[in-house]
Amino acid sequence: MYEFKYHRPETLQQAVNLLAENEDAMLIAGGHTLVPVMKQRLASPAHLIDLSHIEGLDSIAMREGLLAIGATATHADVADSSIVGEAIPALAELAAMIGDPAVRHKGTIGGSLANNDPTADYPTACVALDATIVTSKRRLKSDDYFQGMFSTALEADEIITQVMFPLPKQASYQKFRNQASRYALVGVFVARLPSDVRVAVTGAGADGVFRLAAFEEALKKSFTSKSLEGLSVPSDGLNSDLHGSAEYRAHLIGVLARRAVDAANDRA
Amino acid sequence: MAMTVNGEVELAASRDLVWARLNDPEVLKSCIPGCEEFIKVDENQFQAVARLKIGPVSARFKARVMLSDIDPPNGYRIAAEGEGGLAGFAKGESTVVLLDHHGGTLLKYEAAAQIGGKLAQLGQRLISGTARKLAGEFFAKFAKAVEG
Repeated sequence: MYEFKYHRPETLQQAVNLLAENEDAMLIAGGHTLVPVMKQRLASPAHLIDLSHIEGLDSIAMREGLLAIGATATHADVADSSIVGEAIPALAELAAMIGDPAVRHKGTIGGSLANNDPTADYPTACVALDATIVTSKRRLKSDDYFQGMFSTALEADEIITQVMFPLPKQASYQKFRNQASRYALVGVFVARLPSDVRVAVTGAGADGVFRLAAFEEALKKSFTSKSLEGLSVPSDGLNSDLHGSAEYRAHLIGVLARRAVDAANDRA
Repeated sequence: MAMTVNGEVELAASRDLVWARLNDPEVLKSCIPGCEEFIKVDENQFQAVARLKIGPVSARFKARVMLSDIDPPNGYRIAAEGEGGLAGFAKGESTVVLLDHHGGTLLKYEAAAQIGGKLAQLGQRLISGTARKLAGEFFAKFAKAVEG
């Protein structure tokens, strides 16, 4: 094992200071992405700053009419939270579908969003629900936050503190997962907000999460899976790999979007 | 693990100028994502060091770069073989073809790459997206270098 210095701040301010003071420092929350990468020597930061002991950073509460989820809330926290289950059941269901139990009990919402893996689940919820990502410095709208695979608007000295979700009238997340990695081969989040309908897709786009404008327009006219019939997704720019071709993924997007609308309507 | 990345880029510059830039180590160095070193070691052979930073991965790779089938100003074949130490290996080659196009130049590339070792174990889920992203970054910078 190579050497690195491990820091365990107890407040957000301490974490911000440590990040600013130390060159070649990385933040660690659940560590389910970073630790395997470090073990393979594909990353070797000189400093690790552990966010998981910061008091209150994992809180889940209703604030100003929005569902506020703290950055270090684990996927299991979100899946099991009665507050989330009541406010946005689709979000609790999404969290329950991430990875395996080990990942769900260590992995965090903030870690997932900071990493922005192009097949991660949470980015779809943020984009479809028009969530605001709150950091140690500012508030970012989801549409501005995600900037392509593994890229976000986060600056080097910035730490995600919480995510604020507006409550939708209806929502559902449907995922077709890779059986080995449990990552989304394709995942579609459909949300009917008070004055908008948004559809976000993960796993399929070569550049990470994206919105489907044509589907959104059709669903604004009529929020039924029938209104999506006949709409297809071009396979240009979609991932093609040993798990599935771009055409297969394009087809899955349509299927999962219709399922999501049906599931959202069944819930109501 | 093998994969292919194909693409084309329209450049608002003459074929001769594009060709000159394609053969300028300084230009290539400034366009290769994360490139820290690009040194000519022999006629048509270069030694490169690049720091790849994608998501959680941040590793330094050394590579040998070779040019062949050189046909000025129409194109060449560029091959690179990299060693990431314990991380594994990556190698690839690409044909680059330059065509006159609307007063400028159309650059077409067809690349095939292979990765192995731990890099493949960890990266296979993401490798084609990564390759496309790196190619995109390279040609965006290259377009600036020839047009600016």
